[in-house]
Amino acid sequence: MIRLCALAAAAVSILAQYAIWFYAPVEETMGEVQKIFYTHMPMAWWSLVSFVVVFVASILYLAKRRDVYARLAGAAAELGVLMSGLALATGMCWAKPIWGVWWTWDPRLTTTLVMWFVYAAYLLLRASDVGGQRKDTVLAVLGIVAFLDVPLVFISARYWRSIHPAVLGSQGGGMEPEMWLAMAANLVAMGLLWLALLAARTKQLAAGAAVTALLRHGASRN
Amino acid sequence: MLGAALAVARKDLKLALSGAQGLVQTVLLGLLLIFIMSLSREPGEMSPPLAAAAIFWLATAFGQILVFNFLYGLEEAEGARLGLLLSPAPTQSVWLGKAVAGWVLLFCCQLVFAPAAVAFLGQSVAGSVGLGLLVVAAVDWGLCALGSLLGALSVGRSSRESLLTVILFPLLVPALLAGIRLLETVISGRGLEAVGAWTGTVVAFDAVFTAAALILFPFLYTGEE
Repeated sequence: MIRLCALAAAAVSILAQYAIWFYAPVEETMGEVQKIFYTHMPMAWWSLVSFVVVFVASILYLAKRRDVYARLAGAAAELGVLMSGLALATGMCWAKPIWGVWWTWDPRLTTTLVMWFVYAAYLLLRASDVGGQRKDTVLAVLGIVAFLDVPLVFISARYWRSIHPAVLGSQGGGMEPEMWLAMAANLVAMGLLWLALLAARTKQLAAGAAVTALLRHGASRN
Repeated sequence: MLGAALAVARKDLKLALSGAQGLVQTVLLGLLLIFIMSLSREPGEMSPPLAAAAIFWLATAFGQILVFNFLYGLEEAEGARLGLLLSPAPTQSVWLGKAVAGWVLLFCCQLVFAPAAVAFLGQSVAGSVGLGLLVVAAVDWGLCALGSLLGALSVGRSSRESLLTVILFPLLVPALLAGIRLLETVISGRGLEAVGAWTGTVVAFDAVFTAAALILFPFLYTGEE
């Protein structure tokens, strides 16, 4: 399954890159810079999906106490932090030439940044020894709480800005059909890559846990 | 549940106020933060009300970490946590008791922070003080509901208190934004039209995390090490 996903991701990525550079037209006002969008948007999208996976897997872990859910949540959180981090970075590269600033107060930007912080802390906690035997439970609770926070962050960030006049308008919609198609191709390519990475990382974490268990078992026997 | 929660809160408050250790550290840290932040303005100049409100809530957020580390640290001595868990009261009453105790302690600290912010940051309060207290109390409940839930992270043998800051602060962003904006309204006495929306945010934050804590706390607060 992992290999199949990875191969499909590679094949679709080639098509998607072709679509970016040769199929989709160059945007009139933004020029070549707008091509970042085709990478930026899928990453932002799939990072959000990762956080949903963390949320659902955390609930399932608390309900069923099966280790596979804890590992799935961990793998999804790693991917989510990676992709939202890259989405933020590519977003900044796009914002600088178009808006003239690296960063501005926008509900979506702020929410993504806060989510990045929250899930980076989640990973930090995951790597530490906090919670001892209860670590997976602690992480599951955090995974749920973190996701509950997302709509609140978005709403408060929007209010914050609506009171201050918007310095920069949103960068209007109105994309050509070719652009939509290129975007869809990139969304699918990134999705397949995401799925392959998620499955591989979950499997790897399971293998790691099995090795640790074997080592401990061996140590206790000797 | 309420009776047990009040008993926990009363016990914690007695311990906190008799030794005064936890509270003094929190107050000192907050005062230091407000003082250091006051260096950002030129002598004789006033800080904008928004900046003053932000510094006030920053001091509160740091204070909250210390308060909840202290409150949960109390139960680690002599296996008191096991005693609490073995008592016939529901586990949620521990959460509620600690949240209430933390709320009272945090409010006491803020009673010191507020005049300090006025003095060091050159503020004059134009709005109603009663409204200000109400705003602070409402936002504090949200902070304490979440603080009491995640404060339970720092129990057990392998706890790292500093981690709580990194985990808690980003989650508090909605409550802090609302608190900053509402307090700015109180200090400057203008911009009242936005109060409704922000009050809604605070109420939503309080409700969501109170409900989440009631469900999730028993998973977090157990006898395991």
